[in-house]
Formats: sequence, structure tokens, C-alpha cells
Amino acid sequence: MLKLNEGSPGHWVIRIIWVAAVVAALVYIPTKTNTSTIGDIATATQLAIAAMSLNLLLGYSGVISIGHSAFFGIGGYTTAILVSEYGWTQGWTIYVAAALAFVVGCIVSLPALRLKGVYLALVTLALAVLFPTLVRWGKLAWLTNGAQGISGIGYEQTPTWYNDHFARWQFINESISLPELRGREGRAIFLYWVGILILAVCYLVCRGIVKSRVGRSLIAIRDNETAAAVMGISRAKTKALVFGTSAAMCAVGGCLYAIQSTLAEPNLRFFTLLGSITFLLIMVLGGAATLWGPIVGAFAYVILDTRTRQAGESGEGVIGWLFGWMTGSPATLVLAIVLLIIVFVAPFGIVGLLKRIAAKFIVIIPRPAGTAPLPVSALEEPAVAGSPI
Amino acid sequence: MDRFLDAVFLGLSSGAIYALVALSLVVVFRASGHLNFAAGEMGTLSAFIAWAFYDAGVPLVIAALLGMAFGALLGGATEVAIVRPLEKKSPLAVFVALIALFLGINALTTGIWGAPPAEEIGNLFPNDPEDFWRIGGGVWRDRDIGALVVTLVITGLLFFLFQRTRFGLAMRGVASNAESARLVGVPTSRVLIGSWAIAGAIGAIAAILVAGNQGQVTPIIMVTIFVYGSAAATLGGLDSPGGAVIGGLLIGIIENLAAEFSKDWVGQEMKLGVALLVIFVVLLVKPSGLFGTAKVERV
Repeated sequence: MLKLNEGSPGHWVIRIIWVAAVVAALVYIPTKTNTSTIGDIATATQLAIAAMSLNLLLGYSGVISIGHSAFFGIGGYTTAILVSEYGWTQGWTIYVAAALAFVVGCIVSLPALRLKGVYLALVTLALAVLFPTLVRWGKLAWLTNGAQGISGIGYEQTPTWYNDHFARWQFINESISLPELRGREGRAIFLYWVGILILAVCYLVCRGIVKSRVGRSLIAIRDNETAAAVMGISRAKTKALVFGTSAAMCAVGGCLYAIQSTLAEPNLRFFTLLGSITFLLIMVLGGAATLWGPIVGAFAYVILDTRTRQAGESGEGVIGWLFGWMTGSPATLVLAIVLLIIVFVAPFGIVGLLKRIAAKFIVIIPRPAGTAPLPVSALEEPAVAGSPI
Repeated sequence: MDRFLDAVFLGLSSGAIYALVALSLVVVFRASGHLNFAAGEMGTLSAFIAWAFYDAGVPLVIAALLGMAFGALLGGATEVAIVRPLEKKSPLAVFVALIALFLGINALTTGIWGAPPAEEIGNLFPNDPEDFWRIGGGVWRDRDIGALVVTLVITGLLFFLFQRTRFGLAMRGVASNAESARLVGVPTSRVLIGSWAIAGAIGAIAAILVAGNQGQVTPIIMVTIFVYGSAAATLGGLDSPGGAVIGGLLIGIIENLAAEFSKDWVGQEMKLGVALLVIFVVLLVKPSGLFGTAKVERV
């Protein structure tokens, strides 16, 4: 077993390998795969943002929410209304959506502060069911256009500033330059990069929260609420803040999703209860209470979902053979089975599992705060991130 | 006055079905502390089984009883195969697994019975347009009275079970303190299986009643009803069977009155909104529900 101190040259080599692998994957997808795959991966980034926001609540603070589809929907509808009614540019609506969802999130957290466990799950369940009903409501039709929803809100073309300023930038010679983005593929690639960029920002926000005083308070609240309060943590403030942040983050994912779907309507897949369940599934699949879990989970979910859908339609392969008798697509059933297996076999999710396997070979000794590095032998069993769902 | 009575009668009967779902949730919650998110879908699957018997020529009452038996089996199996092993890991794992079960059963029923023709099923009670009673000017249909009677009978049986039998005593013991109950020799695991089985049977009869009212079994009959049922359970307090019944009936009456007297604002489309608003307000004021007991925890 290899033991490395945090910040040692060996640790830096591992970090650089990681970054290089991620960058390589990020560049590979839009340049070497076809348009529909790029679109799927763009959706994966949006779902990753939503799952990440849920992870902040459920994973780190133990606050159960199955109402995040409502925040996702609030984001989508804010974008749709501002673009179609008021002629805003898509990008600017994201800020408004985040602010609005933050306020709604804080309001919803009011009962959340007094409720625990299943009661909270029920209130958020009500939220998830209420959102599509509200949007469809006749009295709000002037704003949301009822059951028909709002369409035509996607990018007509790739924003011209990109093609004007960045396309055909030459790095070394003509062969390595940024391509001009045109048409359907151009839009997909553009949304992909926007998704990656915002996902990165959300990752940094989550990382900042988790590794700060607020994050430590959250984990303390999750592990023992009463004890945390006794230790001087303001439960109300911390929970309201995190609920609001989580809602805002989820809404941003919803904005991008609506832009990519070019519409917002009440029964759009991720605006209903199914959306909340999907976010939960992604979080569990990737690994609750890990920073990379939601990202890995979202990519795994999208790959699994599209594959089973294709297999269900064509009736080919193992999935087609196993589930050929079903009416419609076996995707949901397969997801449910996978979720059950994950809960039993790998309660730490994919990332938690990988970390545990990696910990058998390489151990990074964390640098103790404010002291000289401890000798390697002092920490035989360092803690591994993540918590069982 | 006629409109008022009509709405109340309608509310009592839809409320009766919410109360059944709420009862199914409460029985499980009292015993094990888990919220059975798959309760509605388990009911739907049982209703499909009842339909299969009915379709094969079994009289409806027998088919319904067989459906309830299947529901009980399904509930007990869920406890043994899913809840018990996961409980040791964490309560959140049980929550996720029950959500997976919700998703899975829904996908399964859609996969098997989703294609037309519809799975038609009869009503347990007289269901012709002329089968109604006129009480004080209001119209009360036989099938609606039937649903209320079923709920009241089941509530009565449950009270008898809880208060008058040894098994009920054991159930109450487990509900109040599982650890101590086990120490004094209460067969905790049998009590848990029993609770889940009872809950499964109650969920099944609720789904069969709903299917009878709609004339057919579809994979989505219980989705909205489950939300109403959980609202009713929350309103009454998750650990109070009496509260569940009162909560269910209250929600049924309130939403139907609101729909009847505010056609403009509420109407049929915002009935659910009214119900959810009611529980939101109640929870703000009294977080443990109307008849629930507040839980005190020690560090």
C-alpha cells in the first residue's frame, strides 16, 4: 500500500493525472461523438447540477427533499417566461431564476425547520406534486400558458459573440483551432460547454460550503441534530441558508434544461415527481455526501437510461431479451432495479465504492491543521469521504 | 343546502379512500417508523391481481379478498426482504429502497398491463346511475356509502385488534418502544411482518375500491390518491390510526366543499392544491399533526 502525505510531490502527480483525465474526457465528448450523444451529455450536466443541489441537502445535512423537481421547474419556467414574454436573452434569466428559487427555498424551509424525517419528506412531496398543478392552474394561465406550456425558448442559433470572437482562434497552427459552431450540432456543443462551465461553478460552490464552517455544521446537524444545537450551531439559520442555496442551484439546472428542450410545460419529465425521484436516484447511484458523486451518477444515469431505452425499442441484447415482454420502455424498471441493487450492495454509491477500493492501494494522509505533518504511522485508518445512504 | 350536502357526501366517500391509504401508512409507521412510499403502488399491483381473478370468472367479492391476501403477502415480503436488512444500514437506505419500489412496481404494472384493452373491473357495490339515496336533499350514491362503510369497518377491526387482542398489545408495545418490547419477550419480528401485511391488505382494498369507481384498473390509479392519503396521514398525525381516518375524511370534505363553492378559483383542477395547503398550514402550527404525539429525543 502506498502512503502519501497531502501536498507531497506524489500526491500532486495523482492530482495532475486526475485533472488531465477529466479534461481529456471533456474535450473528447464534443469533438469525437455525434450530436445526440453531445445532447445527452449536456442533459447529464443539468441533472448533475440538480443532483448536486440535492446532495447538499440530503447527503450533507440529512434533510430529506423529494420536492426538488419543483425548483427545477421554477428555473425552467422563469427562463421560459422571461424569454418569451419579455424578450430576455437566455443566459441572463439564469440569475433571476436562481434568486427566485432561493426565496422560494427559504420559504419552504420554514416548516422544514420544525419538521424531521418523514414529515419533511411529505411536505416536499406535496411541493413536487403541487408545482405541475399550479402551473396548469387556470388562474395562472396568463403567466404560464396552462397545460400547453411555453415553447420556442431555445437558442435560435449559437450566440454570435462566440463565432465572432472565439471561433478560428489559432493555438499553434491552423489545424488546432476552435471550430465555428453552426446549426443543431453547434447548439448542442454550445449547451454542453455552458453546462460544464456552470457545473464546475456549482462544484466549487458545493466544495466551498462543505469544507467551510457551514458544511461542518451541516454534517453535525445530520449526525445528531440535538447535539449540534447544544454545540452552538444555529439550526434555523444553517438549514434555511442551505435549503435556499440548494433550491437556487437546482433552478439553474432547470434553466439549462428548459433552454435545451426549447420549452417549458407542466408534464415535462423532470418537472414532475419523477424528476425528484431521478435526482435522488442519481445522487444515490453516484454516492451521497461525496462531491463527485452527483456528477458521476448523472453520467451513469444518462448512459444507462439511453442504452436501456434503445435496447427496449430494438429488443436486442440482454436488456431486450430480459424485458422484451414489456409494453413500452423498460428504462424505468431497470433503473428501479439498479437503485435497489445499489442500496443493498454499494450504499456509498459508485464514487464511495471507488474511493474505498482506491483506499486499499493509495492512502493520502491529510495535513493536520496548524501542526507539523504527522508521521505516516500515526494515521493508520484515515477517514474516507461519503456516507452510506 | 343541496350543493353543500352533495359536496359533503362526495367528500366523505373520497375521504374514506384517502383514510384507507392513510391507515395503511400509519399502521406501518407506528410499528417500524418508516413511511411506505410504495403503499399506493403495492395497492395497484394487488388490484391487478384481483382483476386477474375477476377476469378468470371468480366472483368479485372473492377476487377482492384474494387481492387483499396478495397485498398482505406483498407487504410482509417487503418487510422481510427489503426493510429489515436495510434498517441496519440506515433509515435513509430504507427510504430510498421504498422509492425504488414505488418506481419499480409502477414500471412493472405499466409494462404488463399498460397496453390496451383496459382491464375492466366491477364495483363491489351497486353502481348503476339510479343506485342512490336522497338524504336531506343531497344525493348519496350507493358505491360512495359502500366505500365509507368499508373504511369504518376496517377502522373498527383495527381498533379491536389494537385494544383487545394479544397481538395488538404486542403491536402497541413495539410502537411505543421496540427495544424494551423485545427485551420483555415480544416477538418483534412477527409484529413487524404482521403490521406490513395488514397495511398491504388495507392498501389493496383501497385500490380495488378506486378501480371499481373508475370501472377499470390502470397503473396510475393510486398515484394521486397516495398523495392525498399521505396528506391525510400527516394531517391526523402519522402515529394515530384514528387521526388518519379523521384526517382523510376532513381532507375529502374540505376539498370537495372548496371545489363546489369556489368553482372559479379551485374547481376540479386545484382540489389537490387545497388539500396540500391545509396540511402545510397544519404542519406550520402543529408539526406532529392533529392527533399525533410529539416525539422527545434524548442526546
